[in-house]
Amino acid sequence: MIGATGIGRGARYRRRSRLQDWGHRLVLLVGSLLVLAYALGPVVWLAVSSVQDEREIVSVPPHWIPERPTLQNYRAIFFAGEKEVTYATRRKGDPSTGGYIPSTADSLLPGMWNSLKVALAVVLLNLIVGVPAAYAIAKIRFWGRSASIYFMLATRVIPDIALVVPFFLIIKKLGLIDDILSLVVTYLAVTVPFTVFVLVSYFESLPDELDKAARVDGCSRLQALLQIFLPLALPALVAVVLFAFLASWNEFLLALMFTQTPASQTLPIVVASFASDFTISFSFINAAGIVAVVPPVILALLFERYIISGLTAGAVKG
Amino acid sequence: MTGLSRSFPGAAPRAWLSRRFNYEERSAYLLLAPLVIVLGGVAVFPVLYAFYVSLFRLKLTRPGRVPFVGLDNYADLLRDPSFWTAVGRTTYFTLVSVAAILVLGLLIALLLNQAFRGRRLVGALLLVPWAIPSVANGLMWKWIYDSGYGALNGALYQLGLIDKYVIWLGDPAKTLLLVANAFVWKEVPLAAILLLVTMKSIPADLYRAATVDGANLLQRFLHITLPSLRPGVLLVVIYESMVAVRHFDLFYLLTEGGPGDATNVAAWQIYVESFRDLSFGSGSALAYLLAIVTFALSYAAIRALGSRL
Amino acid sequence: MAHILFDKVSKRYGSVTAVDRLELEIRDREFLVLLGPSGCGKTTTLNMIAGLEELSEGDIYFDGQIVNFMPPHKRDVAMVFQSYALYPHKTVRDNIAFGLKMRRYDRAEIGRRVEDAAERLRITHLLDRRPQALSGGQRQRVALGRAMVRQPAVFLMDEPLSNLDAALRVSMRAEIKELHRTMRTTFVYVTHDQAEALTLADRIVVMRDGVVQQIGTPDEIYEHPCNVFVASFLGSPPINYLEGVLETDGAATRIHAGSFAATLPPEAAARLSPPSGEVVLGIRPEDVTGLVAEGGDAIITGRVRTVLPVGSDQYLELRVGAVDCFFRVDKGARLATGDEVRLGIDCARLHLFDKATGRSLMR
Repeated sequence: MIGATGIGRGARYRRRSRLQDWGHRLVLLVGSLLVLAYALGPVVWLAVSSVQDEREIVSVPPHWIPERPTLQNYRAIFFAGEKEVTYATRRKGDPSTGGYIPSTADSLLPGMWNSLKVALAVVLLNLIVGVPAAYAIAKIRFWGRSASIYFMLATRVIPDIALVVPFFLIIKKLGLIDDILSLVVTYLAVTVPFTVFVLVSYFESLPDELDKAARVDGCSRLQALLQIFLPLALPALVAVVLFAFLASWNEFLLALMFTQTPASQTLPIVVASFASDFTISFSFINAAGIVAVVPPVILALLFERYIISGLTAGAVKG
Repeated sequence: MTGLSRSFPGAAPRAWLSRRFNYEERSAYLLLAPLVIVLGGVAVFPVLYAFYVSLFRLKLTRPGRVPFVGLDNYADLLRDPSFWTAVGRTTYFTLVSVAAILVLGLLIALLLNQAFRGRRLVGALLLVPWAIPSVANGLMWKWIYDSGYGALNGALYQLGLIDKYVIWLGDPAKTLLLVANAFVWKEVPLAAILLLVTMKSIPADLYRAATVDGANLLQRFLHITLPSLRPGVLLVVIYESMVAVRHFDLFYLLTEGGPGDATNVAAWQIYVESFRDLSFGSGSALAYLLAIVTFALSYAAIRALGSRL
Repeated sequence: MAHILFDKVSKRYGSVTAVDRLELEIRDREFLVLLGPSGCGKTTTLNMIAGLEELSEGDIYFDGQIVNFMPPHKRDVAMVFQSYALYPHKTVRDNIAFGLKMRRYDRAEIGRRVEDAAERLRITHLLDRRPQALSGGQRQRVALGRAMVRQPAVFLMDEPLSNLDAALRVSMRAEIKELHRTMRTTFVYVTHDQAEALTLADRIVVMRDGVVQQIGTPDEIYEHPCNVFVASFLGSPPINYLEGVLETDGAATRIHAGSFAATLPPEAAARLSPPSGEVVLGIRPEDVTGLVAEGGDAIITGRVRTVLPVGSDQYLELRVGAVDCFFRVDKGARLATGDEVRLGIDCARLHLFDKATGRSLMR
């Protein structure tokens, strides 16, 4: 007979499941902590290191919690003009002063500004180029439709390094080395296919009949896109903007190749130049790293929901 | 019907054109035009141009003499044993990285698939490694691996696992794995999310039916979760392999191909050929070979694994 | 004026022909219904009127002018969709006004028309809501309003009532019919529901697999279906079919179908061509004269399988020979499963179809 157990057995099941419940929760807690430690640990250490002064930073073993936290590195970056204590000018015999802050510290902010300009331009161009194309692919039955999709995906098979050589030759010929325009244009190759991919998959999820209703109501295809589909595609647009922005901001290889002076160097390049200079203090390098890290992380955390749904769209389609 | 003539002069060709590319298609092509122009100029053309360059012995150190050598660059590469060693290193790096990414991504996805308070927070914070620039990733790990003052040495020392500091990045035996570790750390969030998305699409009813049938946690995992994850796993494996094979940034920031040749992977070699030895012809050829291999691998993987979807 | 002419219009998708050499004339101000099962091409035809589908072959004329390549936003048509297709991010007011806005009517005029339509459809109190906050019936009215305010030359409707519950459907049918009367515009209406078609239409076009089966008034189509498909598609419960033989000997034309035998009245017999051969006999459920006690000429005999009361009437599912038939009988008759019954049939209303081709033998 079903459930024909005595009171004792029933209680045992209850006890067991409550134990299972607590065990389950413990596992989840431990798991979450491990995941957070893994994901955030290194970054937190980077931040902690960046507020240590020169003497502390070279302690063996390291000070996990700084004893004398200082913001001097950040001050050097953000108020570079005011204080300039370099390898040459630090007080002799006292390595804890200034701390090997490079005279080129002041190129960090301009680098950030370059990165921002490039990223915004890339985002704008992605939208202008990608949105109409995605709408056409998603909603219009035309000859060459599936070919377009494969064509776009195929452009991403070639490694970026292969693109660098021809880009470099062309850009050199056009005299655009050291001009952020070269970055904007080349970043499009990297970002547009993904943008179109995400938008196509989102547009396809919007009902066809909306499109038909708009066209019967008097919209040309373009008007239907602008008046009806664009407002409805806001989540996907946010995701696409984010991806394009982050990809541009974080891009390293192409920027390395095409920029030579602070006039056009983006943030990653400036930061990398510090890292390879042995006379610069570790804590300063780490501070530069944190400055590079903070904007994308803030964006990612703010728009986390859109990023996830954007990636979801890509995954489902893929 | 009024006498509107159905055949007026010029009707035939205009009708044909309109029928061949009707209004629908015309508007589609117009909407696609910017994309085609941009990608054509910025993706297709360079790719073709790179192939063209690879057919010449183009060295920027001798800009005057650029002989056409056909496929010689490719032949030279294929004959060169150091090319194959580099390929071997790339393969090793890719295999190790993708395996680690898959396993860690799966574990994290399993965790995030459970409903618990704070799940959203954990998921959001998980995006941090994904979001940071590869530069920051590089110098962060470089600092952690530092032989004099790094956190890795410090932690191991304090835990009593080593009794003196180890030179990590200077040791050829370890460097490839160290770079892989940094690479994996940054890629795991994306893999976890992709796997999580696939997991969420598994109908809950399957699990309920299995529970009623008597399956325990492990059995449900093996018989339902894993098989249903195949498309997600496939996606992660293929995508991350392609990323790993092409990866450059960490090799530049952490090891510069060294020490010696320990981390001289194919991607690094392309850089060296093109921008240090300034031999664009052979650099392009190498890049093309890499692309072909990547493409062939992903195609084979899709056919092999995809056919059992 | 809205006179629409289809001149040998075809639409193909790859190897599938959705509409096959359609020739159809839609008169100004008529209510035309395109009726048929799914996949018969009725929606494709409607889309071609709207300009949402391009023609593979043939020409479409609006008032004598070829419009094949005219895009939808240049045609003076309005359309109501099965799923209503309301713009989710706009209020009801903006939804209704959108078409007028696109065609650049001035604000005052737009406001006036929207208020007017809202009043007519009794949705004035919903004007500032979003579609998500409305019920199915309300959304339906908004969709109607959106089409109405345009005062188009042609009103197109693609199964607008199929997502509504039964009671709402019946009342909306009446509203649509009234709308047609007051607006005095051409209505082209697509449905698979034959009752809807019979209620609403001035003329019905019955389609199947892209081919027009019959065009006519509801009465014509119901009373004189031109083939077995049309006869079985209209009428609920559907027409009953018995296979039999028709013979003329001398003056009398007789039909034998299993146990059923009858002599056709001379006026009916006169219209038959040819008046003999293997036939399919069609008897509508309501063409029963009554229950009779004994067998004989023009009497159907069968065993009751189910009794189906429907409120006002009673239907019997009878096993006649090897076939199941439905017939309507008086509500008062007390019958049960297993009973053997005999029903008198009105021979003037028999339908005869050629067994091989399915075509009606009545000229």
